[in-house]
Amino acid sequence: MTASPLMIEARGVQKWYPNGFHALRGVDLSVSRGEVVVIMGPSGSGKSTFIRTFNALEDFQEGTITIDGIALSNDLRNIDAIRCDTGMVFQQFNLFPHLTVLENLTLAPVAVRKRRRAEVEAQALGLLERVGIAEQAGKYPGQLSGGQQQRVAIARSLCMEPRILLFDEPTSALDPEMVGEVLEVMRALAADGMTMVVVTHEMGFAREVAHRVVLMSEGQIVEEAAPTTFFTNPQHERSRQFLAQIL
Amino acid sequence: MTTSSSPPLLPPRPAPPSARRSWRGALRQELFATPLDGVISVLLLAALLAAGVGFWHWAFRQAQWAVIQANTTLFAVGRYPLLQQWRLWLLVTLAGATIGASWGLLRSHPRADRSGTLWPINDLVAIAVLAFVAAWLPVALKLPVPLQLRWWAITALLLVLRGVSGQWGQLVPRRLLRFLPLLWPALYLFGMVLIAGGLGVPRVPPSEWGGLLLTLLMASFAILLSFPIGIVVALGRRSTLPLLRWSSVLYIEFIRGAPLITLLFLGQNILGYMLPGGWAPDRVWRAAWVLTFFCGAYLAEAVRAGLAAVPVGQLEAARSLGLSVPQALRHVVLPQALRIALPATVGQFISLLQDTTLLSLIGLLDLLGTARTVMANPEFLGKNAEVYLTLAVLFWCCCAALGLGSRALERRLDPSHSPT
Ligand SMILES: Nc1ncnc2c1ncn2[C@@H]1O[C@H](COP(=O)(O)OP(=O)(O)OP(=O)(O)O)[C@@H](O)[C@H]1O
Ligand SMILES: [Mg+2]
Repeated sequence: MTASPLMIEARGVQKWYPNGFHALRGVDLSVSRGEVVVIMGPSGSGKSTFIRTFNALEDFQEGTITIDGIALSNDLRNIDAIRCDTGMVFQQFNLFPHLTVLENLTLAPVAVRKRRRAEVEAQALGLLERVGIAEQAGKYPGQLSGGQQQRVAIARSLCMEPRILLFDEPTSALDPEMVGEVLEVMRALAADGMTMVVVTHEMGFAREVAHRVVLMSEGQIVEEAAPTTFFTNPQHERSRQFLAQIL
Repeated sequence: MTTSSSPPLLPPRPAPPSARRSWRGALRQELFATPLDGVISVLLLAALLAAGVGFWHWAFRQAQWAVIQANTTLFAVGRYPLLQQWRLWLLVTLAGATIGASWGLLRSHPRADRSGTLWPINDLVAIAVLAFVAAWLPVALKLPVPLQLRWWAITALLLVLRGVSGQWGQLVPRRLLRFLPLLWPALYLFGMVLIAGGLGVPRVPPSEWGGLLLTLLMASFAILLSFPIGIVVALGRRSTLPLLRWSSVLYIEFIRGAPLITLLFLGQNILGYMLPGGWAPDRVWRAAWVLTFFCGAYLAEAVRAGLAAVPVGQLEAARSLGLSVPQALRHVVLPQALRIALPATVGQFISLLQDTTLLSLIGLLDLLGTARTVMANPEFLGKNAEVYLTLAVLFWCCCAALGLGSRALERRLDPSHSPT
């Protein structure tokens, strides 16, 4: 693991929200290529805030974040380059409701990467096949189930051929019977060697897929360990409390 | 397995025939369910009947429609020079042809994903109403026979083109079809040239436009130009650049804080002082610009409400896919915001159309202004009711057309309306 290059490197990240709330209090994290890191922690501990800094959806005041060798700064060109290379999957899917599934996938590659539409459509259909919903390509998001929508959202991120995928509680808004189909897709991505940072409370996924589990509390990382160690022998008092709550 | 012990699942069965009420039963239930309901219903029915009979009696016995019949040209185009009126006929003919072709093409190319939303009966009703009005109105208005024939020919052209393009529109290749909506702006620009002159056509100064022509021209000009203004100002009001935001707020609040009539008078006077001699637009165009900026401010508020109704997640998703802010606005946020703002926007357009009557107060001969000159004519003294009723019906027709069009557009743009 140590030999592969770093895809994400966060050093001493501090963030205050405009209302003065200190949301991130000196967070360090490194993610290597092909690694899957799961972030857990109680509600309001800053998990979303943290992973949203990786693609500049949130800014931060102190510290540094380097994504695949590019430093996140206020230089807009850097931000656009980083956003093209990092996909993000949201809790609420955030599909574009006025576009069909296929158009959701092809919009960014055609508009941003200036690729030919026919070529992107072929790729998009392949991706929909991969996440198991090729037959829904002509429908609108509102006509799909939650699990299908989230799989479309994943395919939409993949269509930009990102090198990092960020997931912010991708299964939290789903009915229990649909969680499995989304986790299945994420498992397959991890097996293909995608670098992933996943905020989730799915223990099974963390145990089987994650290379590392990180626990956040009050804007800090309190524990960072391999999943087996984390779940069987947590070192920190906060981790034990947290695990007691979700188990 | 426990399946053998659990009861078998029920097979589906057809829905029961719905308990159909006879119209008598329905009537009784809707109008006379309780004694109080009955009393209210009877009273209302009596009032409606009395009003209907009274109106019928007035309209067909007492009213003298000669005031309208003698002034149709004045109401339609004001004092537009007689020798140049062929240009307007040409424009109406072209408009009829474009309407017919668009209508037919729209029907022969239903959107594949929205197939269930068309009701053929609507089309039949529309055709019947159109044919009836076109056949009856020229006669009722006692137009000279050649003019009657012209109206019938134009209507026939419209209906024939609708039929032809509805039947064989499928043959038009899709690639070409994409450019067909451009026919409308092209027609509008060409119509402007026809009306005003230029490009080799003799000029007719705006002071000679009038009647329905002037009203529709002012309203359409203001509608078309206020739309982009509204979008830009709404975006400006939500911008992060303070100067842009403040100027947008200033513009909106200034316009919304003053009655339109004062702005119209202000426009007539101030533009003359502000712009050097000869640069200030003609009186009619001054009024048109005031109407445009007036409508723009209200539209900006409608669009802003639409923008606020689009969840922030949409912009975040677009940005995290690498779209720039303008790209995200164009492809993701604005299409949704404008669809949400559509009803309010059309409401604004409808009130703008009605506000054009204020032009008569600054001395322009729009529909109301023309009507007032007609009523001032000693020959037609005391015929105010006939004139005002005609005006009301004309405005009502224009507003109804706007409303129907907007509802059709709303249905066409609504992804959740799809029947699949
Ligand atoms: N725009 C904002 N302004 C001020 N405070 C905010 C803002 N957004 C979030 N916060 C605060 O920052 C803290 C961290 O929020 P964040 O959404 O990152 O938590 P989270 O760990 O993702 O929680 P959850 O599990 O509920 O999603 C919370 O206490 C929240 O109240
Ligand atoms: Mg969160």
